[in-house]
Amino acid sequence: MTTAFPSSLYACPCSDLSSAPTPSSKRASIQPNTLELSGDQAFNPHSPRANYALYPLSDLLYCEECDEIRCPRCWTEEILYWYCPNCLFDVPSSTVKGDGNRCSRSCYNCPSCTTPLQITQVSHRDEGLLKPTDAAGGDETYVLQCQYCDWSSLEIDVRFSKPTKITEQLAKQRKARVSGKEDTAPSDKKVTAPDDVFASLVSFYKDQLDESGDSRNPYSNSPYNSPANLARIMSLYGGLSYNALKKTREKPQPMREALGAPEGLFSFGTDRSDTEIISRMQTSGWDATPTAEQQLSAPVNHDIRFADELWPSATQLRTRRAKRCKNCRHIIARQEPKVGNMRYKIRLLAMNYIPRLSIRPLHPTMPLTNPAFNLKPEMPQHELLQPHKAQQYVLTIRNALFETVKISLATPATTPGKVASRVTILCPSFTVGPAGDVWDEALSASAEPNSDGGRKAAMASLTGSSESSDRQPEAGKIWERTRNSTSVIVEVVPGALQQPPSIVRKTDKELADEELEEDDDVLEVPVYVRTEWEMEVKPGESVQAKKDANAMPGEKVGKELGYWVVLAVGRIAG
Amino acid sequence: MSRPQPTTRRSVKTEYIETDTGNKISRRAFIEGKQNIMLGGKTVLMAGVHLRGDLCRKPEPAAAGEKEKPNTTAVSIGRATVVSTNAVIRPPMRVHKGQMTFIPMRIGDNVFIGPNAHISSASISSHVYIGENAVLSPLCIVKEGSKILPNTVVPPGMTVPAGTVVGGKPAKILGEVGDGWGQGGGVEGEEWVEGGDLRPLVRSIK
Ligand SMILES: [Zn+2]
Ligand SMILES: [Zn+2]
Ligand SMILES: [Zn+2]
Ligand SMILES: [Zn+2]
Repeated sequence: MTTAFPSSLYACPCSDLSSAPTPSSKRASIQPNTLELSGDQAFNPHSPRANYALYPLSDLLYCEECDEIRCPRCWTEEILYWYCPNCLFDVPSSTVKGDGNRCSRSCYNCPSCTTPLQITQVSHRDEGLLKPTDAAGGDETYVLQCQYCDWSSLEIDVRFSKPTKITEQLAKQRKARVSGKEDTAPSDKKVTAPDDVFASLVSFYKDQLDESGDSRNPYSNSPYNSPANLARIMSLYGGLSYNALKKTREKPQPMREALGAPEGLFSFGTDRSDTEIISRMQTSGWDATPTAEQQLSAPVNHDIRFADELWPSATQLRTRRAKRCKNCRHIIARQEPKVGNMRYKIRLLAMNYIPRLSIRPLHPTMPLTNPAFNLKPEMPQHELLQPHKAQQYVLTIRNALFETVKISLATPATTPGKVASRVTILCPSFTVGPAGDVWDEALSASAEPNSDGGRKAAMASLTGSSESSDRQPEAGKIWERTRNSTSVIVEVVPGALQQPPSIVRKTDKELADEELEEDDDVLEVPVYVRTEWEMEVKPGESVQAKKDANAMPGEKVGKELGYWVVLAVGRIAG
Repeated sequence: MSRPQPTTRRSVKTEYIETDTGNKISRRAFIEGKQNIMLGGKTVLMAGVHLRGDLCRKPEPAAAGEKEKPNTTAVSIGRATVVSTNAVIRPPMRVHKGQMTFIPMRIGDNVFIGPNAHISSASISSHVYIGENAVLSPLCIVKEGSKILPNTVVPPGMTVPAGTVVGGKPAKILGEVGDGWGQGGGVEGEEWVEGGDLRPLVRSIK
């Protein structure tokens, strides 16, 4: 799942993979800040569904009203605007409703490779080389051309007389072609354009609803077969009043489905004979047939059988969305409603609320680098972890809030998954100081020359070696502390990839269970983080959330939050 | 900050020449047409980088009596942009009415260009992350805060909209960057983030 080590991913509590460990609040008086993990409660990063529950911290949002983390599963999105990714013009939603979600400003994508097509001028001499026979038309002709795979609209014999209004010109040529085919086709008149089929289907259903008197109904099992049913479904979406519903219920009348092409029935099949298609496939081979992606690029390409029939697809529009909390409907992220403007009006990032965890080896064997910023082409090789050899890591918890937080960590004694590694957090509960701005940091550092950091630096300069190299990690002791971060030591004993041989013959199932799959050798440590803090209720804020409703301004309100973090430590040597 | 540098033959000299505005230019970078290149300050050009400032529109010959026109800019790079090892930056060329002209290239601030990338875009806006081995074909336009995955080939003339993630050969829009794109940098241990302020990264390159 991850290729870079060390890294940390966060699970949103809304995932059913992440259950909270038994809260110790009932026994808080006896043993404060201890979490107990039992059996299967630990988040399993090797579960096939874990990929869908874990996010980098930067992708998660936070709802201030609910005091909870929000992820794509627990926020809703609403469209701010539609825009074309090629010409970057925004398209009003009314136009999208009427004309569909494709750009109408001469933006087309290559039907063969999806690259945006460019309008290029072809002179007659060039064209003569390509197609010696027909060079009719005006003085200048234009074609749509792909600069990546060299596809051009000449392959479907489409040329334009002017470089503007491509959409109109293309539609005209398409229409001429389709109607030309219809004239020659021996079968009765057939509508093939998907838009036309849809339009006739819509009008057919409208007629059916109006009449609702046809009793010759061969499809009585369909849930949409009676106007009453259809009316009830429509009323679900706010269509009909109760009385109207009652009226239709009194005389339920069945309704038939579309029967022919004029009514919008669309059956698969082309006007060409199968033998013709097959014989052409035999001669031209697999390469001449379109791929599924090419067929799905645009409705006009859905039913084509050969790659040389591919029609340019108008660029699909994209959207930019605002995000709302699913629970309280408050907006948690919203950008300026202008194409390309990346500024946010509202942005509640989880990283500004919840403590951030980062892990690094206590005795690194190679300089720590940020895996995203590989400055040299040669990839740094991660050293493999040796089974049964204890490793010590520094786990740093950084506070983003302006209040001191109490942290309790819990981790399963052995990691879930096929390879069980032993994990011990030497100091699972502690506090982390409040965050501040950079100036606070600088001032506090200079004001306290006798603080831990200063002393350490002085020691290091005196002895010529850093203090940490001869310090030994101790159970129950914090390793390092800065103003808004606390570090503790985590001991990890990687498990062996191979199971020890057994005297008892193993069943086939047991052997199959032992078989390692991809990334089973990645050592990932799930850590449950519970954070508690007190917040002063500001005037006017007391009614914001239900649980704070009784709090008076100035009073302190206790808050808590719990979530799983998966720390990827490295790969275990086989 | 003080991690050991890979051993170089020029152990006496430093790897980078630092300009007055804090640009760091590797002695092992290949730079042509220096007079046509503008660097915004605190920008890094690493070893093996090829920067082709010589590929620019030829200034029209000065008419008699007029003084020589100033140099045209071929490549302008903003502030705190990092061009990693062996990346190639080559202004795009266009044939217009039978004439071949080079189009000046503009690269914004805090852009990360990964190792071995080949850049011929018309423009790259600020806070863009370009992965290693990416090819940005001539005249493509990369908008603000977008991410180009490693090994991507952005086809000629493609526009990469702001805040999108593209990948593949040819590049397709695969998704959008998270709402926290470029945020959260400046923390010790995680000093630089993709799309964020690259000044700490620039500082760390020595
Ligand atoms: Zn969620
Ligand atoms: Zn468009
Ligand atoms: Zn193409
Ligand atoms: Zn909420």
